[in-house]
Amino acid sequence: MNSSFLDRLRRDWLTLRQPTTRLQAIGLGMTCVLLSLAGWWFLTLGTVAESRIVGPLTLPSPAETFGQFSNLWNEFALTRNVLVTLRRVSIGFALALAVGIPIGVAAGCFPRIHAFLSPLIMLGRNVPLAAVLPLMIFVFGAGEKNKVMFIFVASVAFVISDAARAIMDVSARYIDTAYTLGASRWQTITKVLLPLAAPTIFSACRQMFGLAFGYIMLAESIKIADEVGGLGYQIQIFQRRGFREHIYLIILVIPIVALVIDQTLAWVQRQLFPHVYGGDGVLRTLVRVVLIPWEHLKSLVFYRKTSGLPLAATEERLK
Amino acid sequence: MSQPSPARPHVVEFRNVVKTYNAGKAEEFTAIRDVSFAVEDLVDKGEFVCVLGPSGCGKSTILRLIAGLEPQHPATSGEVLVLGQPVVGSGSDRGMVFQDYTSFDHRTVLENVTFGLECLHMPRTQRDELGREWIHKMGLNVTTDAHKYPHELSGGMRQRVAIARTLILKPRIILMDEPFGALDPLTRLNMQDLLVKLWKDVQATVFFITHSIEEAVFLGDRVYLMSNSPGTILEELRIEPASSPAHEMQRQPKFLEAVYDIRDKIMKLESKT
Repeated sequence: MNSSFLDRLRRDWLTLRQPTTRLQAIGLGMTCVLLSLAGWWFLTLGTVAESRIVGPLTLPSPAETFGQFSNLWNEFALTRNVLVTLRRVSIGFALALAVGIPIGVAAGCFPRIHAFLSPLIMLGRNVPLAAVLPLMIFVFGAGEKNKVMFIFVASVAFVISDAARAIMDVSARYIDTAYTLGASRWQTITKVLLPLAAPTIFSACRQMFGLAFGYIMLAESIKIADEVGGLGYQIQIFQRRGFREHIYLIILVIPIVALVIDQTLAWVQRQLFPHVYGGDGVLRTLVRVVLIPWEHLKSLVFYRKTSGLPLAATEERLK
Repeated sequence: MSQPSPARPHVVEFRNVVKTYNAGKAEEFTAIRDVSFAVEDLVDKGEFVCVLGPSGCGKSTILRLIAGLEPQHPATSGEVLVLGQPVVGSGSDRGMVFQDYTSFDHRTVLENVTFGLECLHMPRTQRDELGREWIHKMGLNVTTDAHKYPHELSGGMRQRVAIARTLILKPRIILMDEPFGALDPLTRLNMQDLLVKLWKDVQATVFFITHSIEEAVFLGDRVYLMSNSPGTILEELRIEPASSPAHEMQRQPKFLEAVYDIRDKIMKLESKT
């Protein structure tokens, strides 16, 4: 009995890549959270500062920390600040995508463009962010613009190089196939290369968004003139006032916000690319439905126009 | 046998074609040397040409030169003519089916099959109708398979999609680069039968690369035997066309005799070169 229990323990925990059920995985994660909380509680046990293992100036107890939550929520407008921060990252990152993806796709399709841009990409990927931040303030002044542009500058080079890499990784045989089926160069890019690379580009960008969310705190922690708001700015204030509980709460809030965003993006990803992740692809269907009128329009213009004599003959053959 | 009309140019003609990579450098490599052949344009009937040869002998180079695909295209010297005109690039008049599964993974079966028509900007309803017709012709189920993604299909089904996608454009020439090379033997026989049936419908000239002698003898009207690298055509053989299903025909003594005959020929030619 005892040895069989040990055997099972060994099999479950020490077998390489032993599968777990979803329930087990959640259970194990929850256990970790509870153990961490218990450790926290134990380290800060006691009513007087001197009787605690870790003093309240370093680490307030769980009760003290969570007791300040309503204060953080009401007095310090937690939701508003989360939204302010999110808005800044989203705009900056959306700009980086709008600029970076077309450039990256062009670089991935045409090696000469890639060679031409590679010094800039290299510079952008290795630029010291701590040095960029004050520069952004010189260039864009105090206000929202410098924070948004900081996120843009911090991420655009990565977007370009990831998009280019994803396009280059699509096997050349798909290009050959498209060409022998009569696709033009532009059609090969838009109907074959870009859609085949899209899942890779999306998941790279999803990871990068997580990083950008970290960068924004850095940008927000520098206070110039009288601009306010954002989680990073709030941490600065609490630090100056010595509100340790509030800082710990924000440290706990950030991963939760990040998790919600990441899971939302994961859902979008699954629904956009059912050929990679399975499922019914609600968003892909939606995109296609939206594109149908556009396609009809193109058919009207181009099919008529090009079906002169040689194509009319082709059409006849196809029937 | 129908006679070639003198006014019609050859469907495909190679005149002393050579393809050398990195000419003049240390890593110079000649893929094919001095390849010459001509396939006549038969009235209302295409021909099934099989190219047999060892791996790396430049069989694919010949196919890709016809297709006009880089980097094989253009040839280093010599002329590659299709219907009397030099090949300048790729086009849907020369459809190609590859050994690797090249289904567009992000498109459903129907969207894969109608890809070429979409590139012609054919209206959706019209092309979907044609697409369903071809899915049916390929022995796939229109209601259940049309909206599947390629990763949900078996290897044989994927190649059916690849063939349908090419044939729907009614190409004059169909280039097939070991299309059944990765399939299991039974599926392979089924696909051979299907190909023979469809090919009679579309009246195209097929270039079919394989290193299975049985496949070449079963499918081919003529067979080109190629030498080791750098490849050249050693011999041209005429073969009786397929008359019964693959699994029956391929065990007939006459068939086996033809296969052994070619095997002996290859061994003799190999020892000479």
